[in-house]
Amino acid sequence: MEPGLLQSSDWPLLIDLYFFLGGVAGGAFVIATIANLLDGRRHQDIVRIGYYVAFLAVLPCPLLLIVDLGYPSRFLHMLMVSKPSTAIGMDAVTVGPFHLKLFSPMSAGAWALLVFGLCTFLCALDVFLTDRGGRSVTGLRTVAGVIGGVFGFFIAAYPGVLLGATARPLFISAHWLGAVFLAVGAATGGAAIALILALLRGAGGREGLVRVMRVTSMALVVELIALALFVVSVKMAGSARISAALGQLLAGPYSVPFWLGAVIVGVVVPIVLQRGAARSGAPVMAVLASVLVLVGGFLVKYVLIAAGQAS
Amino acid sequence: MARTVAMFTDVSLCIGCRACQVACKQWNQLAPEEPEWTGTYQNHATFTDKSYRLVRFFEEPGDDKVGMRWHMMSDVCKHCAQAGCLEACPTGAIYRTEYGTVNINQDICNGCRYCVSACPFGVVSFNHDTGTATKCTFCNDRLHNGLGPACAKACPTESIRFGFRDELEAKARKRVDDLQKMGYKDAQLYGADQGGPLGGLNAFFLLLGKPAKYGLPEQPKLPQRNVVVDSLLSIGAAVAVGLGALLAFRGRGDDAGGS
Repeated sequence: MEPGLLQSSDWPLLIDLYFFLGGVAGGAFVIATIANLLDGRRHQDIVRIGYYVAFLAVLPCPLLLIVDLGYPSRFLHMLMVSKPSTAIGMDAVTVGPFHLKLFSPMSAGAWALLVFGLCTFLCALDVFLTDRGGRSVTGLRTVAGVIGGVFGFFIAAYPGVLLGATARPLFISAHWLGAVFLAVGAATGGAAIALILALLRGAGGREGLVRVMRVTSMALVVELIALALFVVSVKMAGSARISAALGQLLAGPYSVPFWLGAVIVGVVVPIVLQRGAARSGAPVMAVLASVLVLVGGFLVKYVLIAAGQAS
Repeated sequence: MARTVAMFTDVSLCIGCRACQVACKQWNQLAPEEPEWTGTYQNHATFTDKSYRLVRFFEEPGDDKVGMRWHMMSDVCKHCAQAGCLEACPTGAIYRTEYGTVNINQDICNGCRYCVSACPFGVVSFNHDTGTATKCTFCNDRLHNGLGPACAKACPTESIRFGFRDELEAKARKRVDDLQKMGYKDAQLYGADQGGPLGGLNAFFLLLGKPAKYGLPEQPKLPQRNVVVDSLLSIGAAVAVGLGALLAFRGRGDDAGGS
């Protein structure tokens, strides 16, 4: 389809930052949960760091979203209004003052952030109490971990689906943004854990570091594949304006941050560095690779949103 | 539910006087804006939070016989049967009225601006003064008092007509037939078909040529149609990454070293 007259939401950098932090939190939480479920004692460093990172990363997220609203004091309207109308969309669910719109990723995302935030708090609290010599509450970490893990993936991916459900030329025909954002979230979450592990434990944390870097590398490969499929799906739209929007990303003003920043610095170089770090066990290489993944993860989201809003 | 109302804009009758644009501003008490140069008589380039009506001007270079051709169309919110803005709104501020129109409840909107980019026609605008999204309501207050929208009342050529949807659609189809008999072979309706894109538009148009000539999308798409496919692909990516993590964390530490 050829788009007509369009307007942009003009979301500022705050929203890019939220998408980035949400991805880091979601990715770190999922990795910590999987490590905890498989062998929590053996991978305790990863579990501890993962849950702390998730909690700290998700903490500013609601604030970033509220500050960006045109009417910040109405932030609760994302979840509830005193008298919700019944004619607010397909598959809208209203229970008392609460409402959920399954086809509005922003509505579903607001609820997911609430549940995920609660799970990160419970897991981080459990880790904190255990660190202080207390006993882990039986089953709490497992239950909150599994529920939070599902919502963690959701928090990482939904911004991509949200962008895909707009009429912006770069996004309207793209079907892979959710997958891209999910992979970026997993990679940056893993990178955040690896970075802290390498800084805290140095060579002593090699085993855990290698495992986390392996997850990160796999997520980076998935990201690269999803990005390629995103480009292909946009190219197949067969519209001059959509092709022009893609041209802005691949060969226009956004091409340098996209190719150099997001793809080479954010994906290709870290994969090579992580392989080197796994072989040599040098924490410095792991630190460098992790920093690059984090920088690249932010850049890929930033550049996709910027190019989409300008398209 | 009351009968669905609609607006029928016949571009073959539009003279570009912009009485509709002025009437809209007056009735809705929309503040004046600085004019901007768009290359034609059109002002502004897009809908704004202070211009719910926008007379669009398109110039088409002709041949030796016919010089420049001018196309004018008074554009407005389409009040789509499947509305991207309404589906996107996370607060429920955007709702379907008993008349079938789409309105924004200004007391609920929190200014997230998702609806702005979800509209396939670029209609919804963000008002920085109120911090909320705004757009045409078909003059909801007038509607409830038995008056038509101000723009339709003001139109001196009856290019804009307002009424019940079924009646207007029949009139529109007859008008297309008449025009085609008069030699306007490219006369066609846009958005009148309720089985068409977006389930039909409650503001539909008679165009003299393809929609692209008037800056309208040929096949407007409800953006939320992407949600299911995009979500499934995201789940696929989640499974791939999750399996990768399972593989990475299983087994003894020796093989995790990879060396």
